[in-house]
Amino acid sequence: MIMSAPAILENLESTFKGNEVQKKALDMLNEVGLPQRKSEAYKFTPVTSLLEKNIDFEAKDESTFDSSLLYKEEGSHLVFINGELAKEHSSISDSLKLEVAEISEGKHDPFSLLNAAYAKEELRIESGYEEPVFIYHFNSNGFTNPRIKVNVKNGHTFRVVEKLISPLDAKTFTNSYIEFTVGKNAFGYHTKVQNYNDHTYSHETVFAHIDKDGQFYNNTFSFEGAMVRNNLTINLNAENCEGHMYGLFLLDKKSHVDNNTSVDHLKPNSFSNELYKGILDEKSTGVFNGKIYVRQDAQKTNAFQSNNNILLSEDATLHTKPQLEIWADDVKCSHGCTSGQLDEDAIFYLRTRGINEKNAKAMILNAFAAETMEHVKVSSVKEEIQGLIDQKLV
Amino acid sequence: MISIKNLHASIEDKEILKGINLEVKAGEVHAIMGPNGSGKSTLASVLAGREDYEVTEGSITYENEDLLELGPDERAQKGIFLAFQYPVEIPGVSTTNFLKTAINQVREARGEKALDAVHFLKLMKEKMKLVDMDQALLSRSLNEGFSGGEKKRNEIFQMAMLEPKLSILDETDSGLDIDALRIVADGVNKLKSDKTATIVVTHYQRLLDYIVPDFVHVLYNGQIVKSGDKSLALELEEKGYDWIKEEVAAV
Repeated sequence: MIMSAPAILENLESTFKGNEVQKKALDMLNEVGLPQRKSEAYKFTPVTSLLEKNIDFEAKDESTFDSSLLYKEEGSHLVFINGELAKEHSSISDSLKLEVAEISEGKHDPFSLLNAAYAKEELRIESGYEEPVFIYHFNSNGFTNPRIKVNVKNGHTFRVVEKLISPLDAKTFTNSYIEFTVGKNAFGYHTKVQNYNDHTYSHETVFAHIDKDGQFYNNTFSFEGAMVRNNLTINLNAENCEGHMYGLFLLDKKSHVDNNTSVDHLKPNSFSNELYKGILDEKSTGVFNGKIYVRQDAQKTNAFQSNNNILLSEDATLHTKPQLEIWADDVKCSHGCTSGQLDEDAIFYLRTRGINEKNAKAMILNAFAAETMEHVKVSSVKEEIQGLIDQKLV
Repeated sequence: MISIKNLHASIEDKEILKGINLEVKAGEVHAIMGPNGSGKSTLASVLAGREDYEVTEGSITYENEDLLELGPDERAQKGIFLAFQYPVEIPGVSTTNFLKTAINQVREARGEKALDAVHFLKLMKEKMKLVDMDQALLSRSLNEGFSGGEKKRNEIFQMAMLEPKLSILDETDSGLDIDALRIVADGVNKLKSDKTATIVVTHYQRLLDYIVPDFVHVLYNGQIVKSGDKSLALELEEKGYDWIKEEVAAV
């Protein structure tokens, strides 16, 4: 059954069976509601109406687990099926501490609350010894709320790679939530590969708190999806911490990807760097919204942001919006966005050296995209992303 | 090697070339001189296959083939090389990677096997010497942040790597000091053979002291109005272009 607007939350409520924390989340959610047409934060992605029109929240479908989609890498591989850890398909390294827990509190925006209210479980992971963790979401139900909390302990380096796999033949909505707590002098790396299909709708929240001398890197690579909304928030809570955000959206068909990012500098001497690149073909839509907050205490902040885009088709749409709010007075901040077409002079130049038009374009676009991959360190993930880029460009 | 007959070309409905006739044989060096705006660079671009220019009349036959039917990449594969007046900067693409792709695509089109890394590097080392090319430049993004001289040297380096039959040098001398000019000219001379031909497009006679032409043509107002041997270039250097303009006006 596909529901009408105000009915989404109402109808869902009949399926609600959460704990106290979830009840609280539900109450708060009922108060704020889901974003409506006039919502500034969802201006270019009318998420609620898209969900109304397309998603049957109660649809249940057989899982689509496929072990061939797992990365062939050392480390832990955690397989979730419809929001629940499937231990029988997972391989968990001894060094990784993990707990399937009751839902605990999280962020208070509508989709985080929606996730809290309807998540089936909360997976808590604590960093082990340098081994990466691969998290796979095989979601075939109409509505799934994966919920994960990651603790990167003081001094640890921890890499998390996440991807969602959804069926080709049924419309699904995944409302995921992952929260990182990065300890003192710790390094958290989070890479997402979003190569979905025209039946996949997702709202993906990534939230990170960084402690003193800690660093967090998020790399988000988006290739296809009916509607993908990424909410990335990094709180630089202490001195000398860093937040890095890299993203590539390389889209075609009618794919729609909305990257909404925010970094909050709360204390002095912190650094953030953001680089998002978009390549839009056919009837795709890309959205970039980058917010930088520099609080009054956060003197000597360095914050850089840039978003560069290439439009390959007249039917492609791009919205880009940088937002800086600075209360401190001794800071270095810069932002810039560009959008344009492929450089015809560059293509001609390469062609006069014997490179055909298709390869010349691919070469230029590949070089354009490459910068966003610098912080992806796991080789098979890097290869996968490069493969997807090549596949899209040739 | 190449035969240009009554070539007319325009850009955005403005006619630039108004009936060019030129015959270049293997082993020859032709210089095309002329005042600014006479159509020299347009001719070079049309030969290389720039699609912004529309050929409205005439023909270009290259090695018994209709050149106008071929795209820029096919022309390159068949041995035409244009050294750009303003080489394009391509961020993120290293010269090495770019050349490897280019060479192997050219080889593939010629039915030759791709060069492996070892042979490619060997070839590169050998050709780098020709133009005194700095290794460090080759791993940087193509032409990005290169000085004017480095860009021009890189053009001749690419030419050396691709071993073309017909090379067109479009104002390769502009912006080069005398030392850089000598290096570039030396490189071009070393690549010359009785099987290759060179068209040198230039505004100044200076380059022709180093790359000695067999023929000099003066392009004015979209046509070749005068042809001669290398002494014509010296005459132009001495007297400027005004006497040519007057001669044309008098006809």
